[in-house]
Amino acid sequence: MNFFLYLKDHLFFFLFRLLFFVLLFLLFFAFKVPFDCFIAIFILCTFVDFFSFFYDYFRRRSFYKALYLQVSKLDQAYLVLEMISQPEFYEGKFLWQILYDINKSMRENVLGYERRMQSYQAYIEMWVHEVKIPLATLTLMVKNHPGKFDKKVTSELKRLEDYVDQVLYYARCENASEDYLIQEVDLAKVIKNVGLKNMNDLLESKIDYLVDPISFHVLTDSKWLEFILEQIINNSIKYKRDIPNSYIHITAFEEENGIVLSILDNGIGIKASDINQVFHKSFTGTNGRKVSKSTGMGLFIAKSMCEKLGHHISIESKDQEYTKVTILFSRNQYYDVLK
Amino acid sequence: MKRILIIEDDPMICHELKLLLDDHGYEGIILEDFEHALDSILKIRPDLILLDIQIPYLDGEILLQRLRAVSNIPVIMVTSKNTQLDEALSISYGADDYITKPYVPNILLLRIGAVLKRMDVSTDKIFYKDLTFYCRKGILANGKEEIILTKNEMIIFNYLLMHPSCIVSRDELMTELWNNDEFINDNALTVNISRLRRKLKEVGYADAICTKKGQGYLLL
Repeated sequence: MNFFLYLKDHLFFFLFRLLFFVLLFLLFFAFKVPFDCFIAIFILCTFVDFFSFFYDYFRRRSFYKALYLQVSKLDQAYLVLEMISQPEFYEGKFLWQILYDINKSMRENVLGYERRMQSYQAYIEMWVHEVKIPLATLTLMVKNHPGKFDKKVTSELKRLEDYVDQVLYYARCENASEDYLIQEVDLAKVIKNVGLKNMNDLLESKIDYLVDPISFHVLTDSKWLEFILEQIINNSIKYKRDIPNSYIHITAFEEENGIVLSILDNGIGIKASDINQVFHKSFTGTNGRKVSKSTGMGLFIAKSMCEKLGHHISIESKDQEYTKVTILFSRNQYYDVLK
Repeated sequence: MKRILIIEDDPMICHELKLLLDDHGYEGIILEDFEHALDSILKIRPDLILLDIQIPYLDGEILLQRLRAVSNIPVIMVTSKNTQLDEALSISYGADDYITKPYVPNILLLRIGAVLKRMDVSTDKIFYKDLTFYCRKGILANGKEEIILTKNEMIIFNYLLMHPSCIVSRDELMTELWNNDEFINDNALTVNISRLRRKLKEVGYADAICTKKGQGYLLL
């Protein structure tokens, strides 16, 4: 709030005041009142006016300034009413009430959306669980009744399962729900489970799964981490090069900041122009357009999940040479102390 | 023969699970009476239970808790609930393992085998004809000489021994190997099997492992 602008806002008052003095002067002149008397009244009036303006200005200023500061400081500006107290002057009270009503209506609106989101997520969760039952039956049937298309049916079922999982984890990480459980997890076990689950695809595409001996434990949710690794490995399978010795090399090492898990493949790589966008939603890039199965969701979901879990995921690549994804599990000093 | 009780409310899955178990040397039993599930379990006295969480009348987790109060029959939870929290809860209620649907059948069999093996501690030595196989050390002995098997050969031979008179598919062997952190490829499996054959030949069993074309291997 600027005092001069505030005064300018009261220009009308000053014009009336000026008119008042002109009339007063004429009146005093007509009644032959001494000129000194007029001066005295003029000084007194001006003094009182300025005093009352100052008082009014500062009363308002403390409220508006607090309001303005809080709005620009808060990252959720709509919470501003929680941060300031109700003002003393009428106009401010009025404004406060209006802000309060607007806020209330917005919250009701947001709450409505939140409820809808939650019920939608619950529905997705339920649907995924339901759809997994026939999937399980079909997988068992293929195993129990061998036929002509076993391998193809199994791999199509696996694809179906992957897509269903993607829906589930997308719903989980897009919503504010806390569906994960952070525990101390054996990295080697997670890598083994991912390998076992994707064994057929890896063998089928003749990609060697090379795993260094790893003996690290990290703080994470093992189910989520398995899903993240699967997205990375699925990409390696999808974007392999037509060379005889394709491989995925998984290794882990300790760094200053924590434990790093690295997944390296010698596939077609990612063009330098695309690499900064691979974690973006629905980004398919030059490689994606070559492969019809690309949805551009896998790495996006993997990244959002890593963010939720507090891991740092990054990617580097050289076109037609390699792609290397690294996940950093930061050291948790608080947990170390507790342990 | 080990008897495995299937507690699952989807009739198709029950049927297929039973087929799978029966085909792999177990006896699958389907639980019919969910209302008195606990009594039925105690009456049937199975060697292992495959338990779903979402079953009629009682929640699977509650059934597990009540079962644990009276018995320590091994239980594998088989469910489509796949959060880490569900798993941690089930394990804390006393489940021996936790598998999420849809599972790879080979992995399910592997986990069943592992849980049953844990119950059976006396599997240090396995006998095959006049040979003794020390599975911890990976040594095959016939009284006169000893042959040392590599880790991969040991895993393969052990798996074949555990499934006598069953055709073991390459896929099953592969799953078993990968489950033991040996992430080998198809060629390596072929090489390992022929090495194992050569070693068996040295102790006089040249044709012990017979190839069934398109199906797998059979230990004669």
